[in-house]
Amino acid sequence: MEPLLQVRDLAVHYRTAAGQVRAVDGASFDVPAGSIVGLVGESGCGKSTLGRALMGVMPRTAAIVAGRAVFEGRDLVTLSPAEHRKLLWRRMSFVPQTAMNALDPVQRVGNQILEVLTERGGLAKGAAAKRAEELFALVGLDAGRLRDWPHQFSGGMRQRASIAIALALEPALLIADEPVTALDVIVQRQVLDVMRALQARLGLAMILVTHDVAVVAYACDRVVVMYAGRVVESGPVRAVLEAPLHPYTMGLMNAFPDLERAGGDLVPIEGAPPSLLNPPSGCRFAPRCPFVEARCAADPVLVEESPDHHAACWRTSEAPLLRPRAAEAVTWSR
Amino acid sequence: MVPLIAANDLVKAFPASRRLGDMLRGHRPMVRAVNGVSFSVAAGRALGIVGESGCGKTTTARLLLRLEEATSGTVLFEGRDVSALHGQALLPFRSRVQLVFQNPFDALNPRFTIRRSLAEPLRNFGVPDDQAEARILEAMGRVRLDPPEAYLDRHPHELSGGQLQRVVLARALVSHPRAIIADEPVSMLDVSVRAGVLNVLRRARDELGLAAIYISHDLALIRYVCEEVAVMYLGRIVESGPTAEVIAAAAHPYTRALVAAVPVPRVDQDRGQLPIKGGLPDQLNQPSGCNFHDRCPLAVARCADEAPLLRAIGPGRAVACHLA
Amino acid sequence: MQSASAVSGHPAKPGAVRRAWGFLRSQPFAFVGIAIYLLFALVAIFADQVATHDPRQILFSGTFRVARYLPPSMTHFLGTTAGGRDVFSQLVYGTRSALTVGVTAAFCVVVLGTLFGLLSGYLGGWVDRLVMRIADVVIGLPFLPFVLVISALTRPSTTTLVASVALLLWPNTARVIRSQVLSLRERGWVEAARVTGCSPTRIIFVHIAPQVAPLAALYGSIAVGWAILTEASASFLGFGDPSAISWGLMLQDAFNNQALSRGVWAWFIPPGLCIVLLVLAGFLISRGSEKLLFPKLGD
Repeated sequence: MEPLLQVRDLAVHYRTAAGQVRAVDGASFDVPAGSIVGLVGESGCGKSTLGRALMGVMPRTAAIVAGRAVFEGRDLVTLSPAEHRKLLWRRMSFVPQTAMNALDPVQRVGNQILEVLTERGGLAKGAAAKRAEELFALVGLDAGRLRDWPHQFSGGMRQRASIAIALALEPALLIADEPVTALDVIVQRQVLDVMRALQARLGLAMILVTHDVAVVAYACDRVVVMYAGRVVESGPVRAVLEAPLHPYTMGLMNAFPDLERAGGDLVPIEGAPPSLLNPPSGCRFAPRCPFVEARCAADPVLVEESPDHHAACWRTSEAPLLRPRAAEAVTWSR
Repeated sequence: MVPLIAANDLVKAFPASRRLGDMLRGHRPMVRAVNGVSFSVAAGRALGIVGESGCGKTTTARLLLRLEEATSGTVLFEGRDVSALHGQALLPFRSRVQLVFQNPFDALNPRFTIRRSLAEPLRNFGVPDDQAEARILEAMGRVRLDPPEAYLDRHPHELSGGQLQRVVLARALVSHPRAIIADEPVSMLDVSVRAGVLNVLRRARDELGLAAIYISHDLALIRYVCEEVAVMYLGRIVESGPTAEVIAAAAHPYTRALVAAVPVPRVDQDRGQLPIKGGLPDQLNQPSGCNFHDRCPLAVARCADEAPLLRAIGPGRAVACHLA
Repeated sequence: MQSASAVSGHPAKPGAVRRAWGFLRSQPFAFVGIAIYLLFALVAIFADQVATHDPRQILFSGTFRVARYLPPSMTHFLGTTAGGRDVFSQLVYGTRSALTVGVTAAFCVVVLGTLFGLLSGYLGGWVDRLVMRIADVVIGLPFLPFVLVISALTRPSTTTLVASVALLLWPNTARVIRSQVLSLRERGWVEAARVTGCSPTRIIFVHIAPQVAPLAALYGSIAVGWAILTEASASFLGFGDPSAISWGLMLQDAFNNQALSRGVWAWFIPPGLCIVLLVLAGFLISRGSEKLLFPKLGD
C-alpha cells in the first residue's frame, strides 16, 4: 500500500544574520497510513524544523529548498501557501511544542474547538457542539469542561485539548512536536495512551517529534533517527532499537538509563554535532564516530540494509559485528 | 553512620494567591509546599529525591541550602543546627554545602569569564590567591574540561550546555565542599551529553567522598546515580529506601504508579493501565487524611480521616501508608 | 591549545569596538543621536575657536554707535542682539553651560536613581516600600514650579538648578532600574552568588549593577535632554543664573525685545533649535538602543 506520506531528500534552510543554516539537509522517510512514527534526535538535528516544514508553519526566514513530500498523492513542497492552508486542520494537523500556550487564553476551550469546526469545517453550530463533545470524549476529557478557560486546565489536560482541536476535522495525519516533553511522567503516560488509543480507534497516523527514545519505544511503530539535519536511520521501532545499524543510534541507546536494568555505565558520545551554518562534507557523524574509516569522508547514502530498515552509513553491512563493540564503554572513550 | 546533612520535620508554607472572597474575609490561604519532611544523608552516600511537579522537592533543596527560610523544622549539618544562622555565620556552612543548578545557561553571570565565576566562591570563603589558581585548575580537571586554559578565559555564551554544566560543577567543587545538592542537573541537556555530566558527578562524589542529594523527576536517572531514594508527593515523603528495592517492590501505591509510568527504551514494556486515578489536586484543596487517597486504587475509609506517618517497614525502608 | 571555535563550535565574536561600530551602523536613530551629542560636545570644548566674538562684549560699529539689531551677515552669522552683542557667539558659549548643566544633572540622576533602584529592587521589604513611597511623592510634584520655588528660596545659580533637577528626576530612573533588578534577582547566577557566599552588598554592586548599567546610561541620556530643557525654562523665566551665558537667557532677551513682532528670527530660532536637538538626541539614542537592551521586543 502507498504510504500516507513519502518524504524524499527534503531540505529546509534558514536565513540568519550569520548566513544560511541548513537545518534539514536531505531527509527521506515514509509514514504508512495509520502508523505512529517517532522522529527522534537531539537539539539542533532538524526534527522540529522538519515537522513544521511538512505543515507549512515555518517562520518567514525558513524555506524548503529541495526535495519532495508526497502526502495523499500531492507534493506538499509544490503547493502554494493557500493550498497548503486548505490542507491544514482538514487532512493534516499540528500540535506545536508549546501546546500549553497554543490555546487562546481569553477564549473558552469549547469555543476554540467550535471555531475550527464551523469556520474551517463548515459545520452548523448544533452539529459542531455535538462533535466537540465527541472530541473531548476521544481524548478522555469530561464534556463539562468545554465551558472552562484554558488556565483552569492542568498541563496534561491542555495538551489533550490541543490534540482534540487538532482532530476536529478528522485529519489523516497528526504531527506533534515534543508533545509530552514538559509533562510529569504519569501525565505523560496518560497522553501517550490517548495517542495510541486514537490510532487504534480512528486509524490516525502520527509523527511524534521527540528527543526521548523511551517515549518512542513506548508509543511508536516506526522510528526515524535524525542527526545534524539528516536522517541517519529509519525503520520499524523494534528493528532500530534492538538491532541498530547506524553508530549514532547505537551510541544513543547507550546513553539512556533504563529503569529496569541496573548497573553499567552510561556512555556519553563525546563531542558535539557540527554547526549547520557550514556543515562539513562527508558523514556528519564521523568526528564523533568510533568506527570511522577513510571512506567516511564521502557522504553516505541511505541504504536499505534489511527489509524496510534504512541507514546512512558505509558500514551498515558490518553492523552485527559493530554492535557488541558499541555496547562497551571503552569503544566510545577518546 | 553519622549523617552529614539532615532535615528534621521541615515545613515551608507559601501564601497562595487570594481570591476576592478570601480578601473580603481577611483570610490568607497558605500552601504547604513542604509539609513535614525528614531525612538524612551520610558522607559518601547519594540520596535521590524524586517526585512530580508540586511535590516540593525543589523547595526542600532550597531549604537545605538556606536559600529559603523554613516555616518550621531544622536543617542539621555535621550535627549542628544551621537553620537559625544568617549572613556571616552561614559562610562556613556555605563553603561546605554546594549546589548544581538545573539550567546551565542561567547559572553563570553572563558578564564574568569562567575563571572569574570560579574565583568568586574562593574569594568569598577567604581562600588566599596563591591557592585559588591551584584549586581552580584542580576543579576543572575533575570535571574533565581539558585543557583548562581553553575555557577559563571564555564567557558562558561561548560554551555548550554540557560544558557549562561541568563548569557549574567545578564551581561547586572549588570550595572543597562536603556535600553537593544537584537540582535536575541534566534535564536541560541533550541526551547524549547527559551521560557525560552524570558520570563526572558520580566520579567526583566517589573520589571526594561527598554526600550527595539529587533532585529529579526522572526515576531512571535516580536509579543510575543514587543508592537511596525518597519519593515525595504533595509536600510529604511517601516512601524511602534503597533505590533498587523501592523500584523493584514499591510499598506505596503512588510509587507503584510512578514506576509503572516510566517508559523504558525497549519495545517490550508494560503498557497496561496505570494503578492511579485522576490528576494532581489543586494545591489549595489538598485531600484530607492521606494526601494521596483520592487517587489511590486501594484507599479505604481510614485513609480519608487519618494521615499516615512515615514508618519503618524494614532495614532502611520506610513508607507512609496505612495498608503497607 | 584549542581555539574558542574549536572549544565551543561557535564562530568567535569580533572585538568589542567592531561590534559597537556595527551596531551603530545598523541603528540609524542611535547613530544620529550620538552624532548630535558629539557635535555639541565639540562645539562646547572648542568654543573659543568656534565663536567669532566675545559673547559679553558690547560691540560698536563706528566710534559711538552700538551695533544693535544688526541682521545676519558674514561678520555676525546670526546678527546682534538689542544690546549689541553677537548672537552666534552667545549661542556657541551657551553650549557650554547647557552641556555642563545637562551632563552634571544627568549624572546625578543616574547615580541617585540607580542606587535607589538597586537597593529597592534587591533588598525588598521596608527599604523597597520606603523608597517607592518617597518616589511616588516626588513624582507627584509639579516639575517646573518646584524648580522655580527652590531657585527663589536659595540664590539662583547653576548648582541649585542641577540639584533640583537631580532631586526631581531620580524616581523615574529608580523605578525602571528597580524592575530590572527584580527580574534579575530571580536569575540562576544571582542564586549561585548567594550559595557561593556572596554578601548582599557584593551581589548588588559586583554582580547586578553591571547588568543594569546600560539601562541606567540610557536614562542618563534622556535626563540630559530634560535637564537642559529645565535649565533653559528656568533661565527664560528669570530664575536661572543671570551671569551665565545660556540659551534660556538668550530667549528671555529675545522675548523682552519683542523678537517675534519684530520678526527677528535669528534671536530665538537658533537657541530654541539647539534645545530641541539635544532633547531629541536623548530620545533618539533611547529609541535606537531598544534593540540592544530589549532584544525580545521583536520587530
